Amino acid sequence: MSDWQNSPASEDWTIDELMIARLAACFADGDQACNGMASFVPVSAFWLARLTHAPDLVWLAGAVGLEPRPDRVPASTLEAPLWRDSIMYVEQYGDFWNFALNGRWLTKFCVGAAQLDRYGNGNNSVIGADYHNPRVRLPGTAGLGDMGSIGKALYYWNPNHNPRSLVEKVDFISCAGYLGGGSERADAGLEGGPELVITNLCVLDFHPDTRHMQVASLHPGVTFEQVQEATGFELPAPESPIPTTAVPTAEQVRLIRDGIDPDNMRRREFGG
Amino acid sequence: MSTEKLTTLEEAAALVRDGDTVAIQNMATQAAPMALVRELIRQGRRELGVVCLVGGIPVDWLAAAGAMSRLVGAAVSMEQFGLCQRYRKAVEAGVIRVEELSETALNARLGAGARNLPFLPTRGLIGTDLIDVNDNLVMLDDPFGGPSVVACKALVPDVALVHAHKADRFGNIGYEPTALWPDLGIMPKAATTVIVTAEEIVDSEVLRANPDRTVLPGFMVDAVVEAPFGAHPTSFSPRYGYDTAMHLEWIGAARDDEAVAGFMERYVTGPADHAEYLETVGGTERQAALGNWEQT
Repeated sequence: MSDWQNSPASEDWTIDELMIARLAACFADGDQACNGMASFVPVSAFWLARLTHAPDLVWLAGAVGLEPRPDRVPASTLEAPLWRDSIMYVEQYGDFWNFALNGRWLTKFCVGAAQLDRYGNGNNSVIGADYHNPRVRLPGTAGLGDMGSIGKALYYWNPNHNPRSLVEKVDFISCAGYLGGGSERADAGLEGGPELVITNLCVLDFHPDTRHMQVASLHPGVTFEQVQEATGFELPAPESPIPTTAVPTAEQVRLIRDGIDPDNMRRREFGG
Repeated sequence: MSTEKLTTLEEAAALVRDGDTVAIQNMATQAAPMALVRELIRQGRRELGVVCLVGGIPVDWLAAAGAMSRLVGAAVSMEQFGLCQRYRKAVEAGVIRVEELSETALNARLGAGARNLPFLPTRGLIGTDLIDVNDNLVMLDDPFGGPSVVACKALVPDVALVHAHKADRFGNIGYEPTALWPDLGIMPKAATTVIVTAEEIVDSEVLRANPDRTVLPGFMVDAVVEAPFGAHPTSFSPRYGYDTAMHLEWIGAARDDEAVAGFMERYVTGPADHAEYLETVGGTERQAALGNWEQT
């Protein structure tokens, strides 16, 4: 295990590395984590956590390969090169969903969504008012439609914070967040829910009563006004100075660049 | 005596009729029965309903060929190669109707179909808009007094198409060690007719040596066809990786109607059979490169 904690703050970190380090901090020793398609930031975060503060974080790669040993982040986060040398293939129809639905395991889930609204509802289904006649057909809910409803703590990551991806109200809810806010999620009988949104500008969380999204920390050099400008709904004005997101240490950056993702796959998620 | 199931791609694909609901094994860029999909397009099948967990290039080709009018599935994506643009266009034009399900809801619909139940419940999807737009999903009170669940109506596909590593001529299907996606675990069990392509047809003795790797029994399988590299251009772990160059060529072509027509003629409708297809896409040299998982 590297001496990542006593390492000085990185002086040449990039935004992808900051997001990865911030997401990694959400996962603790003994947690189980799984990833889906095109999930370079979560995969790198799980891997970084395992190399630093959470060596016993269990990783279920692509939701099929338990404790894999890939040599680097490959071009796909779902294909065989990611789950090479697994200790077990988890049969996806039965076992994966048994583990995920049971409630004891895989209690945290990382979500990427084309649209995310102020109450943390996600949309990967359609853009437009009519589901059956969409303006844009998105890929579809896949596992998100389940993960939002079965008590998981949801961690959204968004490498392209803009008014089209962070919207007042999603066109269609394909991942349940806090629904209409307040107690609506709890009233629907749903446990868990969105915890954090980590973007390329800031970290957001949800007000404990209203469940409205709010800025929890600003990345270095980013102002609240910039975040507001890039957000499709009004953010609550900060009552006190907003903290600055911690930058990754030099050692964390080295681990990401040299060990985890030397081919820079993680950058493919940015600038879209 | 076991029943002979070995046949040709042409005859196997002829078991699929216009209008059928066809479950197709596929996880984004993985494990799709592509030789069968190409043959369905060659035979000019129409109005198919396609059932996929995560559909990739087979869905885009079927959409491009005008072969499908319905999609039942959790997602359609070629992951790193992006959205399936021909499918997307067809949905946006109202040509393909989509029944979008979460993974547990799709598994529940197929599971109910397999077990001859009217429905199976899930706790997924509650709070989403996907329930309201789908007549096959209904909120249901727990008869034992617990929280409500979503009843997912049984789905019995007319046909399931699956690709495997090994099969004997009687339709017993063997898988080499790899990830098992839900397609294999439930689609063939729910479907009325099951068609399997295999990398190689082997003597039954080969399957007897590792019966724990036999994933489908011959009595469930209606037709089996030998199709080496039958999942190309998707991957088929552990034997070969996905064909990056061909996926890129496709997404380039998919932007333009004329280029799509040229691509389909060259790779799908043009080659007389599977052997000619394999030659067209690069023959043994290309196969060796894919066997090394290059560019993945």
